[in-house]
Amino acid sequence: MSNDIIDGIIEAFSLMFTFDQEIWGVIFVSFRVSLMSTFLATIVALPIGSFIGLREFRGKKGVSNLINTFMGFPPVVMGLIVFLLLSRSGPFGSLGLLYSTTAMILAQFLLAVPIITGTTKAAIESIDPSIKETVLSLGANERQLWWELIKDSKKSIIAGFLVAFGQAISEVGAVMIVGGNIRWDTRTFTTSIVLQTRMGEFGMAIALGVILISISFIVNYGLTRLQARGD
Amino acid sequence: MIKITLLEIKNLSKYYPKNDKLAVKVLSDIKFSVNKGECFVIIGPNGSGKTTLLRILGLLEQPTAGKIIFNDKDLTHLSRKDIVQYRRKFSFVRQKPVVRNTTVFKNIAYGLKVRGMKPEDYIATVKETIKFVGLEGFENENARSLSGGEIQRVAIAMNFVINPDIYLLDEVSANLDPMNVKLLEEFILKIKQDKTKTIIMSTHDPLEAIKYADRIAVLNNGQITQIGSPNEIFTTPKDEFTALFVGYENIFHGIASIDKSTGLNLIKINNLTITASSQIEGEVKVCLRPESIGVVKDPPKNTSYRNTFKGIIENIRDLGNICHLIVRCNSEKFLITITQLSRRNLGLSINSEVFINFKATDVKLL
Repeated sequence: MSNDIIDGIIEAFSLMFTFDQEIWGVIFVSFRVSLMSTFLATIVALPIGSFIGLREFRGKKGVSNLINTFMGFPPVVMGLIVFLLLSRSGPFGSLGLLYSTTAMILAQFLLAVPIITGTTKAAIESIDPSIKETVLSLGANERQLWWELIKDSKKSIIAGFLVAFGQAISEVGAVMIVGGNIRWDTRTFTTSIVLQTRMGEFGMAIALGVILISISFIVNYGLTRLQARGD
Repeated sequence: MIKITLLEIKNLSKYYPKNDKLAVKVLSDIKFSVNKGECFVIIGPNGSGKTTLLRILGLLEQPTAGKIIFNDKDLTHLSRKDIVQYRRKFSFVRQKPVVRNTTVFKNIAYGLKVRGMKPEDYIATVKETIKFVGLEGFENENARSLSGGEIQRVAIAMNFVINPDIYLLDEVSANLDPMNVKLLEEFILKIKQDKTKTIIMSTHDPLEAIKYADRIAVLNNGQITQIGSPNEIFTTPKDEFTALFVGYENIFHGIASIDKSTGLNLIKINNLTITASSQIEGEVKVCLRPESIGVVKDPPKNTSYRNTFKGIIENIRDLGNICHLIVRCNSEKFLITITQLSRRNLGLSINSEVFINFKATDVKLL
């Protein structure tokens, strides 16, 4: 067993530094799916989160609770839901999207929206109310106020984006269910690691693991740097 | 000058909910009107509701009940779109100003930018205003990196540049250093010069109220207890609270002009002429502390006091060791503080004829 580990590590580094084609294919799919889903989620979540954070309306508490619940939604269950929606007999089965990167993007998008909505809402709500009032009393309309507050909370919003991205790229359950782990197509870091481990190809699994951890580290480092910045 | 009512506040109340059913009354049944071009000062102690009242007027908060009529329009029930349009007629300078996280220039230009003005149309105005508040050289600094006093100047400039119809100033001079107080004074006087602009300001400082006010409203515990000219408020306070709060000073409106031959500053107050050593000319407010005025029974001879008037005691209030005399000289009433001992020695009673005197140096002109 200890031989397996050492051999695995040696193989992993040789794979990484020889730029094995399969590894790069997997990295490309992972990044494309995670970035795309987080980016689309931001476009949708930013207006929703800031609207909830900005306005007072009936049922705001309920909506906030709902968002908080969905922020910790189990990815596997999301995978199941998207699978059922896209499967042949499901309501969107005719689109033929199951086992495609589009399906993976959709699942991760649905997981990321509540996260970014929640962080945006919290960021907007945490802004000193006197800033809001000053901007309003200087004559800003709601759109202009909104833009001011977004600018003021850009740090938290970027943080929300990074958290969602970090979760998307390291997520396995949902992409496995809806993507199907098809080689050269829907295979990602995580699904690949699962497969390679099962097959005893520890070198490949470790190489992917190291890269994934490195990405996590970079994202986290970026987050810390962002939060350490004074302004 | 014809008085045009600009703003009418009708039965305004504000309650904050607390523990579901109990409500905290912040303002109750506030009624007053403000004329165009007037400086209306709300005085009251901390916690009397001044800020809430100004916030409601600035359309930053909804009243629980009541109306604000501006140009025949009720401002308490506006659509979201209309609120922005009407809010743009006001500017609101906060006690503790905050600035946006950007440069001084962009902060000051913001009000014009949101009104849809193009940079080429406002650069000159903004630069001029920056010069006025003495922030030249700071244009490209981040406003949040400035000191408290400098931030206050940015705030003044931000609100001045948008040229609103009504300025709402919320205790703006509290916590300011002398230099900034002077700047603030220039700012307020500059607005007052423009007779089309209206100021509604709050303060807890009676002297500041006298300095700027055309009319004063006394706010205590969420209720307006008295509205009147500074003279009325300070000479005939309606209740003990007002009397105690304002410090009961002698304040008169007059026209000052320096006599060329003697070099003395003569102030005409209706048909009374007072001599002051201060060199301010024109329309002035004359303040005199009650303890600076002396009282004698017989016409004084060879006195060093520049001001001596004959009067009649209208009222006497006992205050322990001292007492307050209200003495009418011609058209004007003076409040004078003397000790009970000298009152007895002089044998003063209501309707006694007396002479009052005070030094030209004790006359304060605002």
